[in-house]
Amino acid sequence: MSEQMAEAAPAAPGSPQAQVTDGTWIRSSSVYIAFAALVLFDFIVTPGFRNPAVIRSLLFDSAPVILIALGQSLAIGTRGIDLSVGSVMALSSSVIGITLGMGQGGSMVLGIGAGLVCGVFNGLLIAVLRIDPLISSLSLLVAARGLAQALLGGARMDLPFDGPIPWLGAATVSVIPVTALIALGVAMLFAFLVKRTTPGHYAIYAGASRTAAFLAGQPVRATLAFVYGLSGLLAGVAGLFATARLGAADPNYIGVQFELDAIAAAVIGGTPLSGGRISVVGTIFGVLLLEVLDASFIMNDISATYAQILKAAFIVGALYLQRAGG
Amino acid sequence: MLLETRALSKSFGVVAALRDVSFSLRAGEVHGLMGENGAGKSTLIKLLTGFHQPSSGEILLDGTDVSFDSPRAAQAAGVAAVYQEINLIPERSVAANIFLAREPRQLGVLTDTAKMVADSAAILGRYGLAIDPRRPLSTLGLGLQQMVSIARVVSLGARVVIMDEPTSALAGAEVDILYGVVEQLRREGRGIIYVSHRLSECYRLCDRLTVLRDGRMVESAATGDLPRSRLVAAMLGRENAAGSAAAPHRAATATAAAPAETAMLVTGLSWRTRVRDVALSVRRGEILGLVGLLGAGRTETFKAIYGAETPDRGQVEVAGRRLAHARPASSIRRGLAFLSEDRRSEGIFPKLSVRANLTAAVLPRISRFGIVSRRRQTELVTRYIRELAIKTTGPEALISELSGGNQQKVLIGRALCTEPRVVMLDDPTRGIDVGAKAEVHRTIRTLAQQGLGVVVASSEVEEVLELSDRLIVLNEGAVAGELETAGREPEDVLALLAAAAEAHTQ
Repeated sequence: MSEQMAEAAPAAPGSPQAQVTDGTWIRSSSVYIAFAALVLFDFIVTPGFRNPAVIRSLLFDSAPVILIALGQSLAIGTRGIDLSVGSVMALSSSVIGITLGMGQGGSMVLGIGAGLVCGVFNGLLIAVLRIDPLISSLSLLVAARGLAQALLGGARMDLPFDGPIPWLGAATVSVIPVTALIALGVAMLFAFLVKRTTPGHYAIYAGASRTAAFLAGQPVRATLAFVYGLSGLLAGVAGLFATARLGAADPNYIGVQFELDAIAAAVIGGTPLSGGRISVVGTIFGVLLLEVLDASFIMNDISATYAQILKAAFIVGALYLQRAGG
Repeated sequence: MLLETRALSKSFGVVAALRDVSFSLRAGEVHGLMGENGAGKSTLIKLLTGFHQPSSGEILLDGTDVSFDSPRAAQAAGVAAVYQEINLIPERSVAANIFLAREPRQLGVLTDTAKMVADSAAILGRYGLAIDPRRPLSTLGLGLQQMVSIARVVSLGARVVIMDEPTSALAGAEVDILYGVVEQLRREGRGIIYVSHRLSECYRLCDRLTVLRDGRMVESAATGDLPRSRLVAAMLGRENAAGSAAAPHRAATATAAAPAETAMLVTGLSWRTRVRDVALSVRRGEILGLVGLLGAGRTETFKAIYGAETPDRGQVEVAGRRLAHARPASSIRRGLAFLSEDRRSEGIFPKLSVRANLTAAVLPRISRFGIVSRRRQTELVTRYIRELAIKTTGPEALISELSGGNQQKVLIGRALCTEPRVVMLDDPTRGIDVGAKAEVHRTIRTLAQQGLGVVVASSEVEEVLELSDRLIVLNEGAVAGELETAGREPEDVLALLAAAAEAHTQ
């Protein structure tokens, strides 16, 4: 992907952020610097990091997070947030679990559809009832998780060993998982959506100034409904990927706290919480950065408790670096 | 001399923001500081109040050399500024704000509220301000909040009071209150530096006027010795001065307009209590002015016509076609465009480029199957940058990097992209400096010459009078009078306004 895609505001090519000052340069590329530094560190220090199996596993884990982080970056670009994505993944997973009887193809469609329904519901709460996205998606975070658990009676449900879903959970092209390739394809479509199409532009306008967008005759509310609907759809697909990878529908495990990684990835990647700008490439690298970080802790035998604190410190550091430009 | 600067200079990197400025302020003097945006006024103020430190030169207070390393130090020495944006705490009482961070104490820990209120009342009373000090600050209008701000710095012992564009947020009566306060400050022997864009205000209030341009002091004289033409010439540089002189275009627009058909007809428009049964019409090629005191319903009338607020009753016809259930989007489709008075929060998209800002209202027209055509977007943007002479480094420049006047032109360009029949501009030159103002005026006249119906509102009567062919006076949300402007003086309009206000109170 080209550098242009990173600057997905309508300003896109040669956009002014690129040319101004060193500080801005650090800000817009901090995620890449941090990612490169961490990978370099792992290659030198972390035992076994070079093993292709590690890289494959890392990419398997990254694929669903990339999808929800893209949706998240769009929501954040409109100056909103979508906290529901992790729970929606779990709901998608449960729906896949209970509908397996009708064939895996059908259950995949229904799982993804459940995500879309959640997203549209969230979008309508925000656009029509004008509920703050923080509140509406928080309630969906609770409700979707609860519904997911209820559907499977709170238990985990193992998938059969063959069929398209298990295939998705294991198939690779050389070391690269098919799910990661799909996520990359989705990211490219997403970048096109944001950079070149009217709904993508409307989302950025709405994030830059709601009132100005309304007065310029833009369909602000429809845009918001679209944005959260898309985020739900992507979370549905992410739920499918996570289920396939796990080999089971598990409403207690899938997507737990994934919304936090998605938000952190989007923001570290250069999509400011104040809206009006979306960085697609940055978001992807934000996800990879967090995933590599998790892997580094595990592979260096750092206890999970300390790992969380270190991860938090790392995120704060990356955000500070991003702010440093001003 | 109360305050003096000698050869004061300030550079930011290689940019010289202020060069060799020797400025002086006597006790009991109101000294107007004028200049266009970027002339160095704010830099000078920031040096005087300790926000910045001078690169070279000196600041003298009562003849002794001083250097302020912070606004707090400047305040302690008696130099304080009151800004347009009020930096007090809206939720707390007026008294608490006046005594913020230095509340009188009882037993060392408790705030002595009674004393604080009494002292505040005394301070406010001294400046003729009938404000209950116990009221929360936020319940006051912006204008009165500003007075509280002034009362606060004076009670802190400020002997030099710097007022940065004090009247730009004020309504008619509040301006008189401000003038009263300034008079009292003068009587008390304080020095006042008065920064404003409004010439008439400066001529009325100031004893001396100093003009900065490009960081240099280009004029400084007693008000009586400085004719307006020379002042404007000093602010703009001589080459621009001729162009800014009033309206040779006027006659042309007026004659062209005479026989034309109606571009927009509004009847019986009402919205809550803010717009009452407003009827107006504007012809093609005509500029209709809307005047009225702040709160008379100018902005509300525009927004109700445009559909930004949903009117309770009334009809709007553009070029003979009725706008039903108007929303901004449908109004734009029918050929009606609107520029908000609040450019910063309702007009521009501050983080986005000139390109994105200019084409914000026409995305569907330059898209096919939802894909935006960059080529058609570029065509529109380059066309309007050229036609409206927008000064920018290019289409990709951030709009926030442009001057106010050029931002406004981008917004006019945004409106023109929609190929409107009627353009409504609410206070289009607010916060725009003198030179750019003349240019925005020219642009508005051109719109009318091209056959558009134009409706313009402004808080400055002179501006509306100069621009428009006909004007309507609003009072308390209702139309209170109408006037053909040819050959009229501001006094005629003020008389109408006064009559309307009086009629309403009876």
